[in-house]
Amino acid sequence: MASVPSPRQRSWVRWAGPLLLVVVLAVLPLVFPESVNEIIARIGVFAVAVLGLNLVMGYTGQVSLGQIFFLGLGAYVTAYGVSNDWNIVVVFVLACTIPAVVGLLVALAAARLGGLAIAMVTVALPIVGVPLAKRLSDYTGGSQGLSARFGDAPEGTGLYDDQWRLYLVLAIGGAVFLLTRNLVRGKYGRVFAIVKKNENVASSVGISPYRYKVLAFTLASLIGGVSGFLYMLVIQYTSPETMSFGHSIQLLAAMVIGGAGSILGSILGGAYYVLVPQLTNLVDPSLTALLQGATLLVVLFVLPGGLASLARPLGRGRRSSHDRRGPTPPITPSATTGSGTAAETPETERQGHP
Amino acid sequence: MATFIQLVVDGLSTGSIYAAIALALVLVHQATGLINFAQGGMAVLAAYSAWWLTARGVPLVLAILASIVLSFLLGAAVERWLMRRFERGDPDTAVVVTIGLLTLITGICGWLFTYNNQQFPSLFSLDAVSFLGVSVSQRSIGTTLVIVVVMFLLQGLFAGTKLGLALRAVAINPQSAAFSGLPVERLLMVGWGLAAVLGAIAGAMVAPQLTLTPGMLDNALVYALAAVILGGLSSPVGVVVAAWIIGVLENLAAVYIPLIGYDLKVAVPFILIFVVLVIRPQGLFGRKTVVRV
Repeated sequence: MASVPSPRQRSWVRWAGPLLLVVVLAVLPLVFPESVNEIIARIGVFAVAVLGLNLVMGYTGQVSLGQIFFLGLGAYVTAYGVSNDWNIVVVFVLACTIPAVVGLLVALAAARLGGLAIAMVTVALPIVGVPLAKRLSDYTGGSQGLSARFGDAPEGTGLYDDQWRLYLVLAIGGAVFLLTRNLVRGKYGRVFAIVKKNENVASSVGISPYRYKVLAFTLASLIGGVSGFLYMLVIQYTSPETMSFGHSIQLLAAMVIGGAGSILGSILGGAYYVLVPQLTNLVDPSLTALLQGATLLVVLFVLPGGLASLARPLGRGRRSSHDRRGPTPPITPSATTGSGTAAETPETERQGHP
Repeated sequence: MATFIQLVVDGLSTGSIYAAIALALVLVHQATGLINFAQGGMAVLAAYSAWWLTARGVPLVLAILASIVLSFLLGAAVERWLMRRFERGDPDTAVVVTIGLLTLITGICGWLFTYNNQQFPSLFSLDAVSFLGVSVSQRSIGTTLVIVVVMFLLQGLFAGTKLGLALRAVAINPQSAAFSGLPVERLLMVGWGLAAVLGAIAGAMVAPQLTLTPGMLDNALVYALAAVILGGLSSPVGVVVAAWIIGVLENLAAVYIPLIGYDLKVAVPFILIFVVLVIRPQGLFGRKTVVRV
């Protein structure tokens, strides 16, 4: 092929984009006023939460209505640790591991039933979580909630607190996004895709759907815990209301509207979660729920891929050249896109609806 | 002992409410293979319409009957105009659609009738009757009886009428049903309508107790989902029994287990599910299904 110089060019292009993004993200907090920085930080927090939901729902196809619970759990762990003057690194590790362990336990039971059972079980998490948080008032402050302040700008940096916190959100959130992106583009992402597309096919080629559903749910819980840590960093206050059923539904709506199974969609979802309620509140606070429900339904009808699918045509040229790189081994397409299984799909769908 | 029996009877009555919503979920699942998370929301809308009519001076029984008719139409309309597009596709997307519908209906109720609690008149008096030395509220007995009668009617409909036979045929195999000349699409609308009617009855029964708010049945929906998981999606009888077990157990746990109490009794069905899922993954009464690739 005559494409000997072009990979080098492309690697330039591939690195220039992210590099530019990093530079822009590094500069922007210094330019924007405090209020804008805080909104961006909030978007970052919920983008991470939506990303976790996307991992289990968008990529693995298991509807979860409990993601907000793990955000709340992470926030409570963070608040408790900070108010007891624990080392912040220890707090961060605990804010990740405790939600992950709880998520693992929930998934071990919920994933045993196929189909929609995960949705039916996880709906209980926010509904049980709120009274549980009120009950454990020694640790959670009851209905009053907990506030904890940390992440002030270290002296000598010359930064304001809001700028420093935004940098922390961008760094931690960016790391989570990068790791998740690598995960879903790699071996595990392909397995998740098969589990989502057809569990029976997955088990027929020796992949245990159960194991990978549990894995996806646990990772989603872990990411939810990270978002809870960031939530505490930015908002500095949490109460049982943080993990209410309504917020859980809003998070799911944000994910679908942003774009299921898309990294960009997670960021858009975070932006939707933070910005749109503010807009609808401006119109009429009593209309907020109505408008949000209507938006979700309209998006499902008109734009099933969410807002991220609008951006896809822009990246198409780049992606197709990306795919042409190197001779593709015959196994990859059937494993990744499932085009090899397309012929069997009608058959299995018919049997899936007894 | 008197408290115990009272708790059990009250538990059966709340369990009946969960059972009605759980049956509605099973009905929809049998017909279209999906879980309607908006089932409770639709029932709340029906309860609001009945409340609105009573506030305009319509007698309560007539208002509830009108709301039942309205729910049937609403259920059929939702199937026809909203769900049909998603029924043959990915079940996860369809579930998200029902969640969107739940948000929309909650929003409509809140917008039209505010989020404040509204008093819903009770069909039964609150007086207690003495029965074998135990006093039990008439409302608990009345609610349980109404739901049991409705269940028998439904059973009669499915087992003894041509319409029921057609509905069952559609549930088992839509394509074969269509080949033998059944109007599948209209039957699906009837199925959704019947489910909405069940919800509406449950809503009218429970509204006096919970007072009417847009999120009134969110918890009941969670209980109903728990009953569906425990009973198994393929077993209406199992679902009803599971709902009663949940209603009674949570009432007993709230009083006799201080660790749980009234605030955490919503956790009871899920502790139960946890245990059952580990021991019997197909549900208490469900059958193991084998799906071939």
